[in-house]
Amino acid sequence: SSVLTLLSEKVTQMMEWASKRSVIRMNGDKFRRFVKAPPRNYSVLIMFTALQPQRQCGVCRQADEEFQVLANSWRYSSAFTNKVFFASVDFDEGSDVFQMLNMNSAPTFLHFPSKGKPRKSDTYELQVRGFAAEQLARWVADRTDVQIRIIRPPNYAGPLLLGFLLAAIGGLAYLRRHNLEFLFNKSVWAFSALCFVLIMTSGQMWNHIRGPPYAHKNPSTGQVSYIHGSSQAQFVAETHIVLLFNAAVTMGMVLLCEAATSDMDIGKRKIMCVAGIGLVMLFFSWLLSIFRAKYHGYPYR
Amino acid sequence: MKQPGWQSLLSFSILFLACLAGFSSRLFAVIRFESIIHEFDPWFNYRSTHHLTTNGFYEFLNWFDERAWYPLGRIVGGTVYPGLMVTAGLIHYVLNLLHITVHIRDVCVFLAPVFSGLTAISTFLLTRELWNQGAGLLAACFIAIVPGYISRSVAGSFDNEGIAIFALQFTYYLWVKSVKTGSVFWTIGCCLSYFYMVSAWGGYVFIINLIPLHVFVLLLMQRYSRRVYIAYSTFYIVGLVLSMQIPFVGFQPIRTSEHMAAAGVFALLQAYAFLQYLKDRLTRQEFQTLFFLGVSLAAGMVFLTVIYLTYTGLYVRLLTCYAKIHIPIIASVSEHQPTTWVSFFFDLHILVCTFPAGLWFCIKNINDERVFVALYAISAVYFAGVMVRLMLTLTPVVCMLSAVAFSSVFEHYMGDDTKREKPPEKAEEGLGPNIKSIVTMLMLMLLMMFAVHCTWVTSNAYSSPSVVLASYNHDGTRNILDDFREAYYWLRQNTDEHARVMSWWDYGYQIAGMANRTTLVDNNTWNNSHIALVGKAMSSNESAAYQIMRSLDVDYVLIIFGGVIGYSGDDINKFLWMVRIAEGEHPKDIRESDYFTPQGEFRVDKAGSPTLLNCLMYKMSYYRFGEMQVRRGALTPPGFDRTRNAEIGNKDIKFKHLEEAFTSEHWLVRIYKVKKLDNREPLDHKLRSVVPKQKYTSKKVPLMLGGEFALQVWRDSFRFS
Repeated sequence: SSVLTLLSEKVTQMMEWASKRSVIRMNGDKFRRFVKAPPRNYSVLIMFTALQPQRQCGVCRQADEEFQVLANSWRYSSAFTNKVFFASVDFDEGSDVFQMLNMNSAPTFLHFPSKGKPRKSDTYELQVRGFAAEQLARWVADRTDVQIRIIRPPNYAGPLLLGFLLAAIGGLAYLRRHNLEFLFNKSVWAFSALCFVLIMTSGQMWNHIRGPPYAHKNPSTGQVSYIHGSSQAQFVAETHIVLLFNAAVTMGMVLLCEAATSDMDIGKRKIMCVAGIGLVMLFFSWLLSIFRAKYHGYPYR
Repeated sequence: MKQPGWQSLLSFSILFLACLAGFSSRLFAVIRFESIIHEFDPWFNYRSTHHLTTNGFYEFLNWFDERAWYPLGRIVGGTVYPGLMVTAGLIHYVLNLLHITVHIRDVCVFLAPVFSGLTAISTFLLTRELWNQGAGLLAACFIAIVPGYISRSVAGSFDNEGIAIFALQFTYYLWVKSVKTGSVFWTIGCCLSYFYMVSAWGGYVFIINLIPLHVFVLLLMQRYSRRVYIAYSTFYIVGLVLSMQIPFVGFQPIRTSEHMAAAGVFALLQAYAFLQYLKDRLTRQEFQTLFFLGVSLAAGMVFLTVIYLTYTGLYVRLLTCYAKIHIPIIASVSEHQPTTWVSFFFDLHILVCTFPAGLWFCIKNINDERVFVALYAISAVYFAGVMVRLMLTLTPVVCMLSAVAFSSVFEHYMGDDTKREKPPEKAEEGLGPNIKSIVTMLMLMLLMMFAVHCTWVTSNAYSSPSVVLASYNHDGTRNILDDFREAYYWLRQNTDEHARVMSWWDYGYQIAGMANRTTLVDNNTWNNSHIALVGKAMSSNESAAYQIMRSLDVDYVLIIFGGVIGYSGDDINKFLWMVRIAEGEHPKDIRESDYFTPQGEFRVDKAGSPTLLNCLMYKMSYYRFGEMQVRRGALTPPGFDRTRNAEIGNKDIKFKHLEEAFTSEHWLVRIYKVKKLDNREPLDHKLRSVVPKQKYTSKKVPLMLGGEFALQVWRDSFRFS
């Protein structure tokens, strides 16, 4: 009867919106009509967020991306039905909804089940579980018994870069195929080995795996610190500084030996020698002082 | 000073001093505390060695340990690298044969320092092959005191790495010697040393991949020679057969991807040698180059396919730098984290800055051996960057290359120009004695700073036995916390010999070693489901935990609690890992989110989650703690947990199925006894049927039954009153 036609109208409307975008954008009016008001035989998963730039909510943006991935995976999955919808309410578009639900933090993920009132577990514990799409999918599966397989859009950057690199090497080798002497140049090999070693010992793998910030800006004083305070972590800027210092000490040692063995004139060799030993001592003492700044309790200068 | 006699005396005395320095700088823990086995893993090694010396070699090789991983047991003979135990057992046997009665524990404690001296000698030999004698002596001195190696070989740290680094260096020395001379004698020596390395440590995979890589790069650089062919062919075959003799390794060398590189290079080498042979017979050179290219391409593709097909294991994970590991147990070990630059500097000091210079010199003056050391340096530095634990494999090569760098500098700057064999033609050609002596002095100063740093690091960071804790008061006097040993000895002396103790897996080896009791899970962590069961028992409430404990026949439960003294490595701090591991196997019963407050915090005070406040671990940690007034100031309330800095939420704890058996002096170790099932389950009030108090005997029923019935009535009425 009229209730059934109303319900089927609502479902059709929701499906139409979902076909245009996987995450339906709702304002207060749409929310009241399609989520709060009966009849409803579908459940809705809503992200309450604040994406306007002046709100300065970085977490909201990251969570929004993950939510989009989740909703897209649902839309293109084989188990897609009209029983589950994904929606979002922005604070600036639907602040009355925020007030009605007594919500004061963003982002928040709520599940409105098709039957009954939302319970405590229908609020997603963002603090505990994080906003990765896989975690959200687990929560969705827990609440709605619908399994969503997360499919992320394939990242072509890696293979593309590799392909480009191989093409460049191939082109170079082809161009210089009659003159491959540079492969036999020991200095080239020595230099590249040295670069690799210096990169590794300055902690670049740690950076690659843990992804720390470049430097830290103290919000109250505005002072930028390039060295992390504790010995358990490091900044990217810090690793570059250490890389530079290590390279300087190495160069100093090499210069010292070159000064003693090369056949340039005596003045130049003396300068090289002094420069070498100066580099070694200066940069090593700076390295020591950085180390002491991080490792509290180290007693030696 | 040209007579060779002086030179060898000097070398000998320097080496002797290096060994002595290495030995003595590892003795801090023994002098401060006593000669005791440290940490956790060495206790298992000690127990196995003890078993070896009491029962003999074949008993050890076939040992099935039923006192670990109850009720599963553990096949020790087939899951352990026997080299360490056999070495210690052999030394003990030889000493006792000479009537020098030394206890096996002392042999185990002092084995690592003795082998560090041997490592210094083998590093000297290796560096002398690579560069010259001066560099060798410097390298020996460096590796004797460098902290990166000391961390795993202090006196008391009876672990595989202590002997493995010696075996590594010695194998590499013999390999370099065999490539240089091309004689089968040195190669067989290398194989025997490799066999010892395989028996000692799982890191032998490094050798079996570095040596083929070396041969491959030599082929690429067109440095092929008969020596390389003889050396590698002999090494591969004999080494393969010998390495398969260790039960733990078994058939892995011909099945797993980590060993396929060696096989690939072997095949390639045979093909290349055959082509070289043909080339001497035929003259079609262009055809040969093409053929060679085709063969190498085919070999490379086979190699890549094999790697792709067996894309598994920790080794390949390292290659693709995936340090984020999905199995919670591996993720929870702090040694498997990537390395910050601070760790590099802390462990190697000036050596990390100067070894690139040594690498530069090696590559500029390249020959067959220096290719090897360059490859060693590059691969070791990559692995050390990915995992902190592998800093140990980087340390020897860093010592060698820095020694090369320093030795080059000293060679040119030390000593008088006029006394050299080839004095410079003009007096102005030399740099002048002033500059030279300044440079020499500054370099020596750097080296002295290095020595001081090493000693400081060893003394402060790497010399704690971690079985005995020490804290220092304001006036410098020492406060020793010997709770662990106190508790383990209580267990040893006051419980039945076949009692079973449940604890978290960290303490399994120590309980088995010191208390000599059967444990449920230990540091071997080979069975994740069993550990998850223990984790589930710890995180459930008392009745559910009691069911699990009854099914596992547990008699005692042991936990570590640091709230009284502020010890931060206790079980409540590890509790979330127990929950995560349990949730991995039993996701329907245990949910990590239940143990957090609604705001997502982990709190032990009144605001904490009720699941946490009623779980077995919480109750066992804080039993009777509510009445305890912790010595911190008059204003701290009773029941104030010093580690979490919070007043506990549940002070009135009562146990139904456990009773407290022992708490150590500073409440660090708490042992609870699991009560047996009651004879009769007492019923709740509501479920009891009320029986009238009069005696009632039916004439039709025999008196016996009536008597029993009356007894029942009497009992019930007694209960009611």
